[in-house]
Amino acid sequence: MGNMSTSDLLLLAAVALPLLLALAAIKPWVRRRADVLLLLAPLPGLVAALAVPVGQSLLVVPPPFRLTFALDMPGAVLLGGAALLWLAAGLYAVFYLKDDPARGTFCVWWLLTLAGSFAVFLVADVASFYLAYALVSFSAYGLATHDDTPEARRAGRVYLALTVLGEALLIAAFVMLASSVTDANPLIRDAVAGLSASPWKEAILLLLLVGFTMKMGLFPLHVWMPLAHAVAPVPGSAVLSGIVVKAGVIGLIRFLPWGEGWPDWGAGLLAVGLFTAFYGVAIGLTQRHPKRALAYSTVSQMGVVAAVLGMGLKAGDGAVPALAAFYAVNHMLLKGAMFLTVGVVASTPRGRLLPVLAVAALLGLSLAGLPFTGGALAKYAVKAPMGDGLAAFLLALSAGGTTLLMARYVLLLLDVAQEGGEALAPRGLLVPWAALSLVAVLLPFGLFTPVTGLSLGTLFSLDTLIKGLWPVALGLAVGALIYQKPPRFSEVPPGDILAAAAPLGALYARVRDSAVLLDMVLRRWSTAALAVVMLAFVLAYVMAGAAFSPPITP
Amino acid sequence: MSGILGSALAGDMLLVGAVILPLFALPPLLLAPPRLAERLSVLVLLASLLVALALAARVGADGAALATFIGGWRPPLGVGLRADGFSAFMLVMTAVVLFATGLFAMTTPGAAPGRVARGRMPPAFWMLLASVFSALNLVFLAEDLFTLYVALELLTFAAVPLVCLDGKLAQVEAALRYLLFALFGSVLYLLGAVIIYGLYGTLDIILVARAASASPGFVLALAAMSVGMMAKAALFPLHLWLPPAHSGAPPAASAMLSAVVIKAPIFLLVRFWLDLAPTGLAVAVAPVLAGLGAAAILVGSLVALAQPRLKLLIAYSTAAQIGYLFLMFPLAVVASPWSALAWTGGALHLASHAFSKAAMFMAAGLMAEALGHDRISGLSGVGRAVPVALVAFGLGGLSLMGLPPAGGFIAKVMLLSAAIHLDAWWIAAVILAGGLLAGGYVLKVVGLALQRPAEPLAVRPVARWREWVALALALVAVGFGFVPLEPSSFLFIGRPASWAGLVP
Repeated sequence: MGNMSTSDLLLLAAVALPLLLALAAIKPWVRRRADVLLLLAPLPGLVAALAVPVGQSLLVVPPPFRLTFALDMPGAVLLGGAALLWLAAGLYAVFYLKDDPARGTFCVWWLLTLAGSFAVFLVADVASFYLAYALVSFSAYGLATHDDTPEARRAGRVYLALTVLGEALLIAAFVMLASSVTDANPLIRDAVAGLSASPWKEAILLLLLVGFTMKMGLFPLHVWMPLAHAVAPVPGSAVLSGIVVKAGVIGLIRFLPWGEGWPDWGAGLLAVGLFTAFYGVAIGLTQRHPKRALAYSTVSQMGVVAAVLGMGLKAGDGAVPALAAFYAVNHMLLKGAMFLTVGVVASTPRGRLLPVLAVAALLGLSLAGLPFTGGALAKYAVKAPMGDGLAAFLLALSAGGTTLLMARYVLLLLDVAQEGGEALAPRGLLVPWAALSLVAVLLPFGLFTPVTGLSLGTLFSLDTLIKGLWPVALGLAVGALIYQKPPRFSEVPPGDILAAAAPLGALYARVRDSAVLLDMVLRRWSTAALAVVMLAFVLAYVMAGAAFSPPITP
Repeated sequence: MSGILGSALAGDMLLVGAVILPLFALPPLLLAPPRLAERLSVLVLLASLLVALALAARVGADGAALATFIGGWRPPLGVGLRADGFSAFMLVMTAVVLFATGLFAMTTPGAAPGRVARGRMPPAFWMLLASVFSALNLVFLAEDLFTLYVALELLTFAAVPLVCLDGKLAQVEAALRYLLFALFGSVLYLLGAVIIYGLYGTLDIILVARAASASPGFVLALAAMSVGMMAKAALFPLHLWLPPAHSGAPPAASAMLSAVVIKAPIFLLVRFWLDLAPTGLAVAVAPVLAGLGAAAILVGSLVALAQPRLKLLIAYSTAAQIGYLFLMFPLAVVASPWSALAWTGGALHLASHAFSKAAMFMAAGLMAEALGHDRISGLSGVGRAVPVALVAFGLGGLSLMGLPPAGGFIAKVMLLSAAIHLDAWWIAAVILAGGLLAGGYVLKVVGLALQRPAEPLAVRPVARWREWVALALALVAVGFGFVPLEPSSFLFIGRPASWAGLVP
């Protein structure tokens, strides 16, 4: 700790500053300066992502407690993207919530979620990762439920229930994983290295996969995502759908054993990912609100990321995590910008909507991988590990689905536009939105070569262009057909298969009520007195069995 | 020579002082005007805390247990007081919680006369607090079964009136229940002690442990004493007295009952099964204790989820959390390198539960004071009225849920690690399920409190510094989350020789 370099300080400040600001926000006069808070908080993270060399690590507290920060390529990419989105969405939020009396509380949740999201990308030891993961997960509840409507409360309950379940699965996995190492709190890297020798490797992998893919919103544990992402205030939705879900991605990147092949588990993740990619599109198409359509698009996109990671896990390809992170950061910025669009449209009169819709369409097409957009680079980056088989074809086809869903999103935007009025959306919303949109489309060009090691020139071959173009063209063509002759369908309620979990709720109520009944019986004097006597006999009997049966000597 | 004498003297004084000093609060309470007496009481609590800290520091520095024989009389005739690492740990924990309880119970300085009358705890509360303190310390230090019996009785008779301080009918009923069941436990304990005296002619724990063999009489005595302690600890299914007693008492009293008083019988169970009983018997009984603990966690948490009132919810949570301490036994009694970790985890759980539960009862009391009720359905928006208390409740709950960075997290990880390594998968599953259920009942309350109320709440003002006392306790519980994830050597100082070799 004595001699810290600037890089070390930046890594530390990336997490520490937002936490300190959240603490300072106890004071009402600090809380009132939301503009300063939300602007300052992501800055150290942004500078760290740009300036700190990849490979830098920092031991903040020595073992056995051990708090370690380290910056690797996936972490740096995600950290930088997240910092940009936090910054843009933060500026947007300052204006968006300027008349909200509960703005101060929102700021505190914002800062905590921000700190947690930076920390998951940066920490390198198991216990700190769990802490950071819990911080980002639970603080996000405050963002999602800010509007405090009945829907928001319900979404919050579902979110919390699954989050607590996820935490339980992960702690079980981490404890088993860490037990292969003698350290009290090992580095994630060292713990994962012992996985293949662990007697519980199957159980650990299962728990890790279920725990982290739940956060990413993979089928069938995606049910919370369309609920929570649709009810938050617009800037909150942007960071939830853009950044918070990436905690699951970084979890898989950090904790899965790359570099050695796990064919069965890889294939399983691949299959679930591909299914989710199509499932998200299918349900998303039925939605009637642009934010819900976007939330389902996130479900679908995280399916793509999972499929890529699954392929890497199957093949034991250590290069895949960085590529998946690149894909994820592309989605992060685009999805953030698309959520901000919803708020911009809502304060733009119908007559002046066209430029905004054009940007929305561009963002959507970039997400689908239209050539010459940033998204095309992300799609291209993950093509190589996908190979040439069925999986690669399905992944390309899912881009067609994305195009379709994005077209639906742009049309749905029309419904939320302002009815009358002349003025453009206020500058406080327009500027951060426009800046983020620009960055979202362009940033992948800057990141492509450093992350993939390929030159941008490879992208402009005819073959690549065709491969990028046909899914988009197919999606647009199908979209046009549907638009001509819209089929009748009703909206699938957000959370879709959550309705199927109703028997679980009934089961829980039954179990709880029988526990209450049992408790009532046990709290009678007669039962309790009998229990005392019985227990004494049981204890005596058990001891007698141990003491007086020949094989066991006391 | 004189140096050795001096330090020996200081050791004696610390041990005797820990038991006697809290009682120094009694004369001023009888003689001085209430306000002054209250302040003097808090000073005495502070002094007792300092003694406990000095004692722990001494044990830590010596690396050996501190022992004395009162009046120089050695057992079997005399009475011994002995502080090993675990006792010192319990002494400090108790002293911190009770000092905080004293601060919490103080009359608000400068409050308007009308409000003072409502907020003031009667002198009886302070006397009982001092007596509970002294009795607990005696439980943690006494070396022979008869002194322990006296300490337990003193504890019961000091704790029971705390339940019915307001004199309401329901409270008196709850107190009677508590009293009768605790006496039931005492009788069983006494029965066991009498049998042991008959068998070995001594009541000194160390002498008995040396002489003990698995004879039928000894088995019977152990069974009786254990069940007596289980009744006093409200271990499932013997918890009938706990929910009404802990939820009916005034918040300051609930805090100390649920946080520390309930830990005394558990401390003794640990001593019985780890110090007194031959290992073979302990290994045989441990699964039974753990089974009851598991039932306590599952049933207690589920019933907590169904409670309509906040204080009842917290009381059932106590009934559930006690289960973890029993879940520890099968992991701690076997001869394995992992048992040291399980044992440290159990002790940490005990302490972080004490601090978090005291904080939660205080916070619940403040919420009830602000709203005029503690119906969970009416808690919507209470976070705005008492924000600091809500944070205290939330942080305390964090520890119960076993989430980082709280002490409950470290305890849970230690217990889980030990369970997994010892192939006790069912114990691991219960620990995880208990965390989920705790998440259910804690987050239910926090979620409601964070909501915006439908109509503006009619809120009575609450003294802010009392909220801060609750928060301070919750922060101590969180602070335990920064303990390294490895067996604590302090807890093993002076533990019986059978433990040697298990400490890495």
